[in-house]
Amino acid sequence: MIRIDKPAWDIMVEHARACYPRECCGAMLGKEADGVRTVHAARPMRNAFEGAQEDTYVLDPQEQLAVEKEARAQGLSVVGIFHSHPDCDAYFSKRDLENSCPWYSFVVLSVKNGEFDHANSFLPNFDQTEAPKEPLEY
Amino acid sequence: MPKILIPTPLRQFAGGSDAVEAAGATIGECLEALTAQHPDLRRNLYNDEGKLRSFVNIYLNDEDIRYLSKTGTAVKDSDTISIVPSIAGGR
Ligand SMILES: [Zn+2]
Repeated sequence: MIRIDKPAWDIMVEHARACYPRECCGAMLGKEADGVRTVHAARPMRNAFEGAQEDTYVLDPQEQLAVEKEARAQGLSVVGIFHSHPDCDAYFSKRDLENSCPWYSFVVLSVKNGEFDHANSFLPNFDQTEAPKEPLEY
Repeated sequence: MPKILIPTPLRQFAGGSDAVEAAGATIGECLEALTAQHPDLRRNLYNDEGKLRSFVNIYLNDEDIRYLSKTGTAVKDSDTISIVPSIAGGR
C-alpha cells in the first residue's frame, strides 16, 4: 500500500490542477518499510512530450537524474511516479502500462473540469502485463 | 573503480547497497561485473535475449549511453553510472 503525507498530496493535486487540461507528471519521494510506501515529498516534473499533452506524458530523463540526486541528498527514495488524467477517470491505460516500469507505484489523479476528482495507485507486475490497484491513502 | 548507483527498488537485489563499485573498461563490462556480484539484479535489468530491458536507460554521469557508444562506452574510475527507467503514458 501507499500512504501520501498531506503536504505532498497537496502539491500533487495543485500540479494536476495547474497543468489542466494537459497531463501533469512528477515523482513521489519517501520511504518503504514492510510493504508500505510512505510519500513524504512530491516533486512536480516537466511533461517532456512534444505534442498534444491532453492525453500523454513523458518524463524527462535528465530531470529524473536530478530528482534521484535530490532524493538521496534528503535521505529519501523515489518510490513512485504520478500523472493526471484530465476529464477522464483514474485508470491505468494500456499505454500507461506499456510505458511504465515494475519498480514503482503509479498514482493517477483524475481531474474533471479543472478540479481534482479521485485517484488510484497501480503496481505494474514484473513483465508489465497487468497493474493491479494498490490501497492508496492520502 | 566506476560507481553504479542503484535505484531504491533494486537495492533488495543488490544486498541493500545504494551504490556498487564495479570494475570494467566499458559500461557493458561494469554492468557485467555488477550482475556477477549480484545475480538477482540480472533479470531486472536484462531480458531473456541478454539485452537491457526496454525501459532501462543507462547514464554515464549525465549522459545517456545511447548517444555515446552504448554499452561499449569507455568509463574511467571516477565515473558514476546511473540506471534510469524510461517512463511515459497516455490514454
Ligand atoms: Zn495515464
